[in-house]
Amino acid sequence: MGPPKKITKKDSKAAGSSKFEKRRRPEDEAYAQLVDDDGPTTESDIPASAIKNAERNDEGIQEDEYGAKDYRSQMELKIDHSSRPLWVAPNGHIFLESFSPVYKHAHDFLIAISEPVCRPEHIHEYKLTPYSLYAAVSVGLQTNDIIEYLKRLSKTTIPQGIIEFIQLCTLSYGKVKLVLKHNKYFVESPHPEVLQKLLKDPVVQNCRLRPKDENGEDGFITSVQDKSKPALFGAKAATTTTGASETGDKVDGDGIVTTIVPEDITNFYEKIDNEDEEEEANLKTVSFEVNQEKIETLQKRCVEIEYPLLAEYDFRNDSVNPDINIDLKPAAVLRPYQEKSLRKMFGNGRARSGVIVLPCGAGKSLVGVTACCTVRKRALVLCNSGVSVEQWKQQFKMWSTADDSMICRFTSEAKDKPMGCGILVTTYSMITHTQKRSWEAEQTMRWLQEQEWGIMVLDEVHTIPAKMFRRVLTLVQSHCKLGLTATLLREDDKIADLNFLIGPKLYEANWLELEKKGYIAKVQCAEVWCPMSPEFYHEYLITKTSKKMLLYVMNPSKVRNTQFLIKYHEKRGDKTIVFSDNVFALKHYALKLNKPYIYGPTSQNERIQILQNFKFNPKVNTIFVSKVADTSFDLPEANVLIQISSHGGSRRQEAQRLGRILRAKKGAIAEEYNAFFYTLVSQDTMEMNYARKRQRFLVNQGYSYKVITHLSGLDSDNDLLYKTREEQGHLLQQVLAASDIDCEDEKVPGEGGVVRPGGSKRTGGISSMSGGDDAVYYEFKRKNAHNVHPLFKKFRG
Amino acid sequence: MAEKDTKSLKSILQKPVKLECKDLYEYLKTRSADVLERLYDYPTICLAVYRELPEIARQFVIRILFVEQPVPQAVIASWSSQIYVKEHTAATAILGDLGVWRSAAIPGGLPAWELSATFKRNLKIALLGGGRPWTMVNVLDTDSKARDIAFLDNYAMSRWRCVLHYMVGGATKGPDGETISPDAVRILLNANLMKRDENDGGPVITRQGFQFLLLDTQAQVWHFMLQYLDTCEQRGMSLPECLSMMFQLSFSTLGRDYSSEGLSNTLLSFLQHLREFGLVYQRKRKAGRFYPTRLALNITNKNSVAISDDDTQHDKGHIVVETNYRVYAYTDSSLQVALLGLFTELLYRFPNLVVGVLTRDSVRQALRGGITADQIISYLEQHAHPNMLLHEHSIKSKSPLPPTVVDQIKLWENERNRFTFTEGVAYNQFLSQSDFITLRDYAQSINVLIWQNERNRTMVVTKNGHDDVKKFWKRYQKGGS
Repeated sequence: MGPPKKITKKDSKAAGSSKFEKRRRPEDEAYAQLVDDDGPTTESDIPASAIKNAERNDEGIQEDEYGAKDYRSQMELKIDHSSRPLWVAPNGHIFLESFSPVYKHAHDFLIAISEPVCRPEHIHEYKLTPYSLYAAVSVGLQTNDIIEYLKRLSKTTIPQGIIEFIQLCTLSYGKVKLVLKHNKYFVESPHPEVLQKLLKDPVVQNCRLRPKDENGEDGFITSVQDKSKPALFGAKAATTTTGASETGDKVDGDGIVTTIVPEDITNFYEKIDNEDEEEEANLKTVSFEVNQEKIETLQKRCVEIEYPLLAEYDFRNDSVNPDINIDLKPAAVLRPYQEKSLRKMFGNGRARSGVIVLPCGAGKSLVGVTACCTVRKRALVLCNSGVSVEQWKQQFKMWSTADDSMICRFTSEAKDKPMGCGILVTTYSMITHTQKRSWEAEQTMRWLQEQEWGIMVLDEVHTIPAKMFRRVLTLVQSHCKLGLTATLLREDDKIADLNFLIGPKLYEANWLELEKKGYIAKVQCAEVWCPMSPEFYHEYLITKTSKKMLLYVMNPSKVRNTQFLIKYHEKRGDKTIVFSDNVFALKHYALKLNKPYIYGPTSQNERIQILQNFKFNPKVNTIFVSKVADTSFDLPEANVLIQISSHGGSRRQEAQRLGRILRAKKGAIAEEYNAFFYTLVSQDTMEMNYARKRQRFLVNQGYSYKVITHLSGLDSDNDLLYKTREEQGHLLQQVLAASDIDCEDEKVPGEGGVVRPGGSKRTGGISSMSGGDDAVYYEFKRKNAHNVHPLFKKFRG
Repeated sequence: MAEKDTKSLKSILQKPVKLECKDLYEYLKTRSADVLERLYDYPTICLAVYRELPEIARQFVIRILFVEQPVPQAVIASWSSQIYVKEHTAATAILGDLGVWRSAAIPGGLPAWELSATFKRNLKIALLGGGRPWTMVNVLDTDSKARDIAFLDNYAMSRWRCVLHYMVGGATKGPDGETISPDAVRILLNANLMKRDENDGGPVITRQGFQFLLLDTQAQVWHFMLQYLDTCEQRGMSLPECLSMMFQLSFSTLGRDYSSEGLSNTLLSFLQHLREFGLVYQRKRKAGRFYPTRLALNITNKNSVAISDDDTQHDKGHIVVETNYRVYAYTDSSLQVALLGLFTELLYRFPNLVVGVLTRDSVRQALRGGITADQIISYLEQHAHPNMLLHEHSIKSKSPLPPTVVDQIKLWENERNRFTFTEGVAYNQFLSQSDFITLRDYAQSINVLIWQNERNRTMVVTKNGHDDVKKFWKRYQKGGS
């Protein structure tokens, strides 16, 4: 009876191992559950070519014995490779040496055509995506220029697949523009043949508005675009100085460059640079007028036939909408990167729609204010909380000549008279509100819908779900949309939608470079490990419910570490914010340590009072806040952040929270760190995994987390809480007595991504739009199982 | 009730042995007095030993070299000041260990030191000349095809890499299609750097082998040669003869050619082995002349000059480690890639660049393979790209690597070592609960209880407490029954 026994043995073994896998998997996929779900994406909004993915280009590539993708057969090394800065992989990933003499050139170019994946100290990684190429085209780069320049910068030959990919993604993009001139919509293109092609389509034909007297087959309006005036931002003094410094930059840049750099790179760079700066003087364009009511159908149709319309707004020639009288104050000086981002937006004297990505605290609002001042038409600013509405108003008053009468707030608390104002500041939820409004609000809403807005500024654009966003767009008409965000990053794929709802990403700043130049604070990130006390860990292991989370948040050693850190930083005179997503923990910590706290139910008045005290009262140095403070709470004084509980593995939340302390501190260029970001993690719990995942975005931006396993001086401090076992036991009783609702994170309206029991699982597919794209990380995990180093394979010791 | 020793378990759980890397002193220390005596019959060995001695010890030797009688220990002790008593004892111990001197008694009963006669005689020869002529002499006529230093360096490194390649790639051929001789394989096996696979009998790398690969070249050569010398007696070669030849090589001049005439058969075959490993260059087996390479010259030299041809400079600094755990290596050498692959997850390979990432899994795999965190870190430091050295934090911390990455690698190692071991004796299978409780309470009262579980009546007491508990138990049983 030998054989049958053997088989059963094998079977049971296999079953055991799969059981083991099953047990492991829910933990791995716990983050996946945290992803919010906006319903299925409507595919029709995205051109077909955009769905194509360069990532698949190398599926057939053979792997070498270590599991690495071997590209050596696909490319040849150039002889002068050492003076060229980049490698292009067949799957669209690009690696750039930051120490190369042509780094500056290559960097500007790559930012325009690709998405940054990670930008630490020495070697940066970028990735070509359909969206990034779309953005490149929309800021005026041509297909051939992209390929040619990439070829010249690369150390090796460019794989054929990549060239095809670039052609595929760029040839049809950006050829046609939807321009609003003299309040008539035109479809404009420098290529008559493209327009011909478009007009062959019956739907497009239907949308065309033909002048009555003309019957000719090709009734295009040919126009010669006059030399555009360069857009000026801000007071004249400011622009001239920045201009001068820039030319100065260029001169010495070239001086170094010519000695080492192959000539073709510099020559070509200058060519592209010039094109970018001043549009060709006399560009012949052809256009046809479009029926205004059929704009929507036209746009949709054009996307379907793969000629997405780029929306541009010729605000200078718009005579129908009245100008508003607003200018930047002379004191408002733009930083170089702010100016660069605006130049991308107003590159050809018209306003393009798109998204500008700047780290928190790097002056996003100034960019928004400047954009409004440049367009000088009615402006609508949308943000996501009442507090930030106030802050935007402050920003307008600070940087521009606008006064109270021009700025109208529209929130549930403050409703100014909208008539006659130039700038309206409101929240997303006010606009998309579907329930009954008050009469007053109803009036304002109607007025708002009737207006033709010159520019719409969308603050924290990453937070709004696509559905809500579509509602905003259908309710409000505006010529140009500017999205502002710090982290173009979601745990789902919804970021991609923004590309076609707002426009391409126009600019993304490098965090590390801004930090080095002192525009944002130099932050020391630290992960503090708090060992679980045996009693808590025991409970943690046997609990199956959501109480697990409460157990690791309420870990007594975490309380002690928090208290110790708060005391330490208060002694230094720092201003500390403590974040906790869990309300039970938030209240407990705050009451135990006797500090003020803000969470969802806190009233607007109380919030403002606490924040004012935190700003000006030297006795209030520490506040506790829940996730309501994640975004748009402007707290320039704060320089220490302690995170005791967080929302699963959300990279975005981590970056947003860091943003709270990023605003440059006094004495900006500090030698050492001038801001501190602590994450307290209970050892050996799920939190460790979450922390690792959360940090990925910032780590890819060049931040490094220092792991602190033990805070020195913690044990000798006798004033800390929960010193004795009895006290800890008491705390455990409290935790165990807590209700299930206490265990959950706070839900904030309008914020996606709250754990929904029974919510659908999504795996993989992290947005390719996000700045911290990390599809590679998933690869490792998958690969690991069957790809062992050949040496280890052999080695059985 | 049964008792069980948990010792055997402990040996299983314990970490693998570290690769022992001896220097000359440690190597000679472990030789028997008899072997040492034979070794000291060669002036070159005496000279090499003398050079490797600590400064104070050298002082002692040279002072009493010409004293024909034992010198009282007190006299020698009086030469150094009391402050340096530690150095003094260390020096005397070393001299004793190496058999350079031994204690003797002089009339009057005072303890004294006396230099070994062989050592004394041969060191005098080495320093003053005379004796037999060295086996290695300069060639009188000039080589028609003389080789320059760059060529020799290149040759040496390519040969040496061949050996490493063999370890990494097993039976597959190296890049130049060269393999190593069965003798070299035997040395690797003997040194426990490789071992025979249980299934197909082919040589596979061991834990020590991994550690060996991460050493720097000089240390590798030295370790390898020591292992070679260990086996040379079995091969019918004389250890002292080979060792003296090796030291003669290390005293030779780089770029000069030496005659192989007059060498005994043993030494000629030794020379062929050295040729294979790249320690000497010989155009043809019977060329009659050979060139020592830098590998041979550096073998005992503490402050040696590293080989500086293009290739090694390339090797020296090619790895960039980023704060996001990315590792970029400017290399196309399959050896370098294989080494990097030991502890990184490799992602892409470009013609002159390898992209990888340090992950918890990849580092843990290396740790399981017997590599230590320190070895990984020191390998990355040794080969850090020159740009890494320019960074501000590296100037401060003296390490070119980002401190967080270093910390993390160490933490990954530490998380494997969270067990603390306490030796003990387990008591179980008690017949009644009361028996168990009585014994447990007793063990607790004398503070020897490590662990207990009432449900399955098991307890563990410390090794020291075992006797007491046993006695108590016997007494208790007698009293009870």
